[in-house]
Amino acid sequence: MSEAFLSVHDLHVHFPKGPAAVRAVDGVSFDLAAGGALAIVGETGSGKTSIGRALLGLHPPGSTWGSIRLAGRELAGLSEEAWRPLRWRRIAMAVQSAGTAFDPVYRIGEQIAEPLREHLGLPSEVAAARVDMLAERVGLEPRHLRAYPHQLSGGEKQRAMLAMALSCEPEVLIVDEPTSGQDVLSRARLIDLLRQVRDEKGLSLILISHDLAAAAQVAERVAVLYAGKLVEVGAARRVLESPRHPYTWGLLNAYPNMTTARDLRGIRGHSPDPSDPPSGCRFHPRCTQAVDLCRQAEPSLVQVGGRLLACHLGGLQTLLQARDLRKAFSSNGQGERVTAVRGASLEVYEGEVVALVGETGSGKTTLGRLLVGLLEADGGHVVFEGQDLAAVDGRSRKALRRRIQFVAQDPFDAISPRLTVAEIVREPLDVQKVGTAAERVEKAHRCLRAVGLEPGPTFLSRRAHELSGGQLQRVAIARALVLDPKLIVADEPVSMLDASEQAKVINLLKEIQNERGMGLLLVSHDLALVRKVADRILVMRQGEIVEGGPANRVVTRAEHPYTSALLQAAPALDWEVGQV
Amino acid sequence: MKSRISAYVVTLWIVLTLNFLLPRLLPGDPLSALLDPESSDYVFDAQVRAALEAYYGLDQPLLAQYGAYLKGIVTGDLGRSIQLNQPVGELIAAHLPWTLLLTGTALTLASLLGLLVGSQAAWKRGSTTDRLLTAASVVAGNAPVYFMGTMLLILLGAELGWLPLAGGRTPFASYSSPLAAAADVLAHLVMPALTLTLSLLGIQFLLVRNNMVGVLGEDFMLVARAKGLRQARLKWNHALRNALLPFVAHLAAHASLAITGAVFIETLFQYPGMGRLIFEAVGARDYPVIQGVFLAVALIVLTANLLADWLNTRLDPRLAEEVGR
Amino acid sequence: MSALARLGQRARVRPVRWISALGLETLLGGGAVLLFVLVALAAPLLAPYDPHAFSGQPLERPSAAHPLGTNDAGQDILSELIYGTRISLAVGLGAALGTVALGLLVGAVAGYAGGPVDTLLMRLVDVMLTLPRLPLLILLAAFLGSGLTQTIAIISLLFWPVTARVIRAQVQSQRQRGYVRMARNFGAGPGYVLRRHILPAVAPLIAFGLVAAAGRAVAMEAGLAFLGLGDPTAKSWGLMMRFALNLPGLLLTDRWLWWLVPPGLCITALILALTYLGMGLEVRLQPRLRRR
Repeated sequence: MSEAFLSVHDLHVHFPKGPAAVRAVDGVSFDLAAGGALAIVGETGSGKTSIGRALLGLHPPGSTWGSIRLAGRELAGLSEEAWRPLRWRRIAMAVQSAGTAFDPVYRIGEQIAEPLREHLGLPSEVAAARVDMLAERVGLEPRHLRAYPHQLSGGEKQRAMLAMALSCEPEVLIVDEPTSGQDVLSRARLIDLLRQVRDEKGLSLILISHDLAAAAQVAERVAVLYAGKLVEVGAARRVLESPRHPYTWGLLNAYPNMTTARDLRGIRGHSPDPSDPPSGCRFHPRCTQAVDLCRQAEPSLVQVGGRLLACHLGGLQTLLQARDLRKAFSSNGQGERVTAVRGASLEVYEGEVVALVGETGSGKTTLGRLLVGLLEADGGHVVFEGQDLAAVDGRSRKALRRRIQFVAQDPFDAISPRLTVAEIVREPLDVQKVGTAAERVEKAHRCLRAVGLEPGPTFLSRRAHELSGGQLQRVAIARALVLDPKLIVADEPVSMLDASEQAKVINLLKEIQNERGMGLLLVSHDLALVRKVADRILVMRQGEIVEGGPANRVVTRAEHPYTSALLQAAPALDWEVGQV
Repeated sequence: MKSRISAYVVTLWIVLTLNFLLPRLLPGDPLSALLDPESSDYVFDAQVRAALEAYYGLDQPLLAQYGAYLKGIVTGDLGRSIQLNQPVGELIAAHLPWTLLLTGTALTLASLLGLLVGSQAAWKRGSTTDRLLTAASVVAGNAPVYFMGTMLLILLGAELGWLPLAGGRTPFASYSSPLAAAADVLAHLVMPALTLTLSLLGIQFLLVRNNMVGVLGEDFMLVARAKGLRQARLKWNHALRNALLPFVAHLAAHASLAITGAVFIETLFQYPGMGRLIFEAVGARDYPVIQGVFLAVALIVLTANLLADWLNTRLDPRLAEEVGR
Repeated sequence: MSALARLGQRARVRPVRWISALGLETLLGGGAVLLFVLVALAAPLLAPYDPHAFSGQPLERPSAAHPLGTNDAGQDILSELIYGTRISLAVGLGAALGTVALGLLVGAVAGYAGGPVDTLLMRLVDVMLTLPRLPLLILLAAFLGSGLTQTIAIISLLFWPVTARVIRAQVQSQRQRGYVRMARNFGAGPGYVLRRHILPAVAPLIAFGLVAAAGRAVAMEAGLAFLGLGDPTAKSWGLMMRFALNLPGLLLTDRWLWWLVPPGLCITALILALTYLGMGLEVRLQPRLRRR
């Protein structure tokens, strides 16, 4: 393979600020092939603009080090005078704030022509002709060229900025946040323009943005930046459709877009302080699967299955994996066997909500219980956190029990009518003999508060029949939380509640799941409901999983006819549809 | 622009009216006192007294006085000086050129130096030169102009004897050629102009420097640098060009300051300008002269304001738009 | 002055922190001003003679009895200098108060009332700003006569427009704030709103305005005295300089060194002190204003 056109290695950009330095970019390496398009995505403060500016040598001397090789020539460490002839001619940048990128006292056309006349030394007429061509290419009219910056709209200035950046026909074009702050129509037009520019031969493109959709549409590769370091690099579509790094995953969950019906989820914790980043892996304070190693050592960017990942654990963990599960029951002693589950396979990843939907009798409840270990499978395995449930001995199994918990459909059935609330919630702790008695009480109270119930003495001494359905289901959830499980399987947790209670409990589950980074397997018949919380949907019919995939894909482009039927029949507030 | 002109006309009218009303409204009726044999301000010279009576017309109704006053201004009749027994108009015409020479020179020098040195200091902000110049400017801009003038007078005039101590030119001199005349005027101009320049420079340097520092931090400066432009182009065509805008906006105020300073300097150096004229008039309670000079100065300042406004709209395309509306 | 009061309070807390918090300029400027104030207050104790008394021969050279010599009337120059502090500070403070009071009144009314009242008042401000300062000052001084009260009044009359503008801007922005609208929702009248919500926001501006106005007033007073328009009975620094320059042939001797230079230096020093104090305050007050 030929050497990459632009090769950045171990780039650092530190700004001194009092005693500590702001470590904007802390060891970033990436390659850009000739004619390629790379998107660097990250949130504000991740350091992406600093990378762009470093590629033009715009930072104060002494703040940048590392290697920047363009077509074999080393650019890092060049003096200001050595940089000058390279700027704009070999590498150009369309900056983030097009609104303030232009000098307010000169006309747009003049400013676009300026590098042509001053930098390339072209005579005025030639420069003017070139400017006209550039304007046409980006969709600007002559009147825009004659205007002053304050007379142009944001979108027009963006395009003018692009024209100016292309004026000297650079080999590398960096575009910094072209779509931020624009209305959707301008944004779409701009993305189209960028794609046209990208397709021109001889031009390599670097798109810096927090707009993930734009990144997917314009770039073929994407590099995800967090706190000055790269965490995931790979093919754009694949990374953004199925992210492997916990941060990328969180980012996608938080990104508002038209395809996901599911509510936005933020990433817990706060953005790191660039002058004092966390030790070890910078994401570890906010990562739900962090282990001790993550706090101690920084992970390096390594190849994992076709991408580059910086994670000690190799990316998002698979919490639960089921292969070929089978279960049959004998009905009423007549010897006739009813196969409830026939050959079902599925995965649940770290921090994910998976919904298992199907009609009554589809086998979903059985499957749920199989996964938790409440029932023994006739065939197949269930692997949880790398351990085969069937293969574990008694001791380990007891430990395992703490990590997976179950929430049943009917709380009145799942909870003993004789126990008080306090005893109910404490029961798992008592069984597992966790901590001292006082600690167990404290833990129970915390979990009650987590589900929105205040552990006052009156409430704690209540019994099941004194509570409403919604309250009792919450108590059941609190009971499930008390052992700090990593995965909760909830079987129709809200189907017996009123609509308003349903909404509250479902939201509660989602909140807790997000906060604690738990996996949640939601078994339900209510497609409309799970659409609001699920990341992936599995459709089950007569014991088999007939379809599974990202929630938005399943809901909008179902592949199996059964799924389509289910979707059609799902309750909709549109009285024209669903004439069953 | 039209609205600005009308605003200025209004201000001019207010100035005229103020000039007219003030002496007539004040307690003690200073004008009548001039004609009252009992008062200490009584003017003894009959000719002058007659001229005063005619000019002020105190026995007439107020409105008639006002009309006569306005007519006088238009025809150039500003009354007669009590002390010098000359038409005020003539006096002003004789003294005005000297003041214009002084303030014009000082303002031009201070502006040019302020722009050049201020932009350099901003370019090298934080350097020792920048900090020294800034501190020096604060002192120069705040020190009373007559104190600085006094120091210069003593140092260059008295101690070193390089420059004449007073006046616009050597009294009773006759010149061999216009060049010699000009040289003499110039020699007398140096210290007053130098003093005023230093005082104005203090303020203008800071203005240019601080504005320029602000401009240098703007995004478009970074883009200009990224475009691979030469340092000179960045400094002059982009940075200074933008810093010029607030500078011009303040020019009118600085012109006003220059005149204020000129009053002190002319008094100190006995320079035959309008400042000196009004100073001596005040001492002699020569009201017509005081009023006349006030009017002339107000007119100059208003014109300067108007010019600065016009210049501003030419320089800043954002303003030109508003005007067109 | 609130800045000085704050200085006093903070002195009891960790010293190093408040030095950097207040800034070098504020400290140096404020310190110098404080020094002048102390001299003014303690004048009878510090000055060797009554400045009006003819304590020696005219134009004596500096000696043990008269450290700065005597003026042409035989009065001690050092005593004149010390008592001159009182005049400058009195006029400075008086005019500053006058300027800010007028500016506050006009600015608050204009900013709060808005509409035609605002337009009218701002027109007035614009006109006043366009008028040339010193000639108007001279005109007024000539007609109103000289006396310290007149001087203070004239200076206040001429300087209030700038303060008015600044205060109006702040009042306007405060008026838009949510909590002001809420208060009006509760039925609060303008008096309550101004007092309770707007005034505290304007207070830092007032502090800064006082200092800035004081600086300008001191300069103006000295200038007027120098021109002979000030109170001839008040021994101000400017007047001292005027009398010195009136002496024929002053420059040909070295008398200027102890008669002309000291008052000039004092005027410059006081103005600079106030300027630096103002600069320091402005920087420290502004970010807090923006945070609101």
